[in-house]
Amino acid sequence: MRSRKIHGSLAIAASASLALAACGGAGGPQSGGSSGLSDGKVVIGLLNDQSGVYKDVSGPNSGVAIQMAIDDYKAKYGDKAVAKTIELVQADHQNKADIANSKAQEMYDRQKADVILDVPNSAAALAVATQAANKKKLYINISAGTTALTGAKCNKYTFHWAYNTGVLARGTAGAITKGGGTTWNIVYPDYAFGQDMNKSFTAQVQAAGGTVGQSIASPFPSDNFATFLTKAGEGNPKVVGSMHAGGDLINFVKQFNQSPLKGKVTLAVGLMFITDIHSLGLDQFAGTQFTDAWYWNFDAQNRAWADRFKAKTNVRPSFANAANYSAAMNYLEAVQAAGTDNADKIVAQLEGKKINDVFLRNGEVRKADHAVVHDVYLAKVKSSASEDWDYEEILKTIPAAEAYGPANPACKLG
Amino acid sequence: MSEQMTASVDVDLSQPSILSRRSPWRPLLLLGGLVVLVMLPYWIYPPVAMDILCWGLFAISVDLLLGFTGLLSFGHAAFWGGSAYATGLIATTWGVPFPVAVLGGAAFAMLIAVPIGFLSVRRTGIYFAMVTLAFAQMLYFIANQARDLTGGENGLQGIPRSFFGIEAIEQDSFYFYYAGAALILVGIIIAWRVVNSPFGRVITAVRDNPARARALGYDVERYKIGAFVISAGLAGLAGGVFAISHGFASLQELVWTTSGKVVLVTVLGGIGTLWGGLVGAGVVVTLEDSLASSGFEGIGMITGAIFVVIVLLFRHGIWGTGRDLVRRWVIDRRSRPRG
Repeated sequence: MRSRKIHGSLAIAASASLALAACGGAGGPQSGGSSGLSDGKVVIGLLNDQSGVYKDVSGPNSGVAIQMAIDDYKAKYGDKAVAKTIELVQADHQNKADIANSKAQEMYDRQKADVILDVPNSAAALAVATQAANKKKLYINISAGTTALTGAKCNKYTFHWAYNTGVLARGTAGAITKGGGTTWNIVYPDYAFGQDMNKSFTAQVQAAGGTVGQSIASPFPSDNFATFLTKAGEGNPKVVGSMHAGGDLINFVKQFNQSPLKGKVTLAVGLMFITDIHSLGLDQFAGTQFTDAWYWNFDAQNRAWADRFKAKTNVRPSFANAANYSAAMNYLEAVQAAGTDNADKIVAQLEGKKINDVFLRNGEVRKADHAVVHDVYLAKVKSSASEDWDYEEILKTIPAAEAYGPANPACKLG
Repeated sequence: MSEQMTASVDVDLSQPSILSRRSPWRPLLLLGGLVVLVMLPYWIYPPVAMDILCWGLFAISVDLLLGFTGLLSFGHAAFWGGSAYATGLIATTWGVPFPVAVLGGAAFAMLIAVPIGFLSVRRTGIYFAMVTLAFAQMLYFIANQARDLTGGENGLQGIPRSFFGIEAIEQDSFYFYYAGAALILVGIIIAWRVVNSPFGRVITAVRDNPARARALGYDVERYKIGAFVISAGLAGLAGGVFAISHGFASLQELVWTTSGKVVLVTVLGGIGTLWGGLVGAGVVVTLEDSLASSGFEGIGMITGAIFVVIVLLFRHGIWGTGRDLVRRWVIDRRSRPRG
């Protein structure tokens, strides 16, 4: 027994010293010679849902978009490119925050990722943001909507590129109310996302001079919205707002279409992706109004990019796909300008930068809270499509300042 | 359900366990286990290695109920997740060293296990499973709604990992592994002691023949509650270390699929083997981790297929089948005529 104990402690001591040696080695200078890059290359990590509910919104196709950015960067700078070798590593977090957390650490530590992109699911996104701050590496969130990332939980190394729940409220609620839809009833799923959306929608409707007759909480998740739809019709509102997402949204819209409300009121949806319309069909969603961060058929520039994307994936891009392209491209541009992939220098490059590209119009990387503000669009679902994926009519462009509002005072960077 | 489950379990106490005190295998196996424990973070990414140990203890806690008490709990996420949140809140509020927070979390899990156990052990089989599931769902919805406390679906983020100011353990997940592993090891030893104690013999008797155990004068329900609370404490210990290791607790820890996953891990490793939980966790966690970066989309399909194969072909799980093979080999060798 005693000898085994000694062996055990010897093993632990030996392993500890081995580990110390390993750490000492890793702590040394890492720069790859004159290029100023760590390990002599730039590694972009894509961490998102590649098999579950968000797969269509931003799954493997966002990897295709990032690869397009890498190709474009190489074509643009050729021999002058600072980043000669650019790697893209991908992982599927399966919508689990703990897997996202381990994978993010592994990407930063083992795969030497210089930046991680995307990460849908707000718990997963916040966990990755914490890791980014710990490891002092970049994280650019695309498809998680929580305002905490640019609020109380913001940090120096995290940027929020595409949209957030506040934008959805300012866009949809503000624009529809100003357009004459002054009386609202809101149905929201009773959990944090729904409660937040209800709160910000109510505030925005009132700020625009409208009134919210009722806010109705529905259990989450739910299949049967009949009673909530009946309640939502009380008081003859002009607009019914649904704050549901994913499967709940699809159920809600289907049942809304079979209710007497159909045709009498405008249906406004809090969070909707073009892939939702694609999966349920135009006839179900026709007439619904929502805020879209980007639409592929908005203008010639978007369309040209969407054509390239379609050639590779056979589908039209969601806004998250385009935002991944934009974030990767601007990251690489920042590497080019800074001459290094050192995170602090990249942050300095990005902060305050004004950007106009295929995704961002009148875009600015806001220094105060690292929200990337840009114009968003009030969209209405068409009743008939002239081609595949031709689903949206853009009613109005909402200017960046109006859509994002002032920087969140809860965020203290520095 | 429990009839079938328990019917497939045969821990034959008359046969020498390969881990029993007199077995020549014992020192070899224990040493092997220790080496694996120490070397794991060299082979596998340290946070993933920590996950394996946490899930391993979680599965052991389920096995204590399923394999040794004959109760299939389908709500063990309540204790794993409940402790994860409690540990997180203790660590965040008071900034105590993490082992204290984890023990606090485990104590919380045992505390909530008392009323849940009291109400659910009166039922067996599918009814017991459903009652435990219902309680776990209650806890899930409470955590979802009490967002001031738990952060709702954003989760409880930024749980500190303080350990007497020793920076290596606080910052580096490699060293943290050894500190966390020590806590998990304590849990495993407790489980082993419980199973091999007079109390363990009684709960096994309760599993095999509750009527007879009652006739012999044992208060069957009280023993079941005892086993339930101990099991919850172990699940809580594992959940607490898990939360500290990741630095957050999310609703994922409380959702019913977590309860399902741990039963799967236990069955995969082998019901009624105790050690099987660690093997099952090793397989499932490594698989999830490696498939995540493989670019393959059907992760659920692969884990599901492995589960089906194990259940159909290896009724006693990975550990149980291995143990049976070794036993048969030992018995063959003994019965062979000498010279």
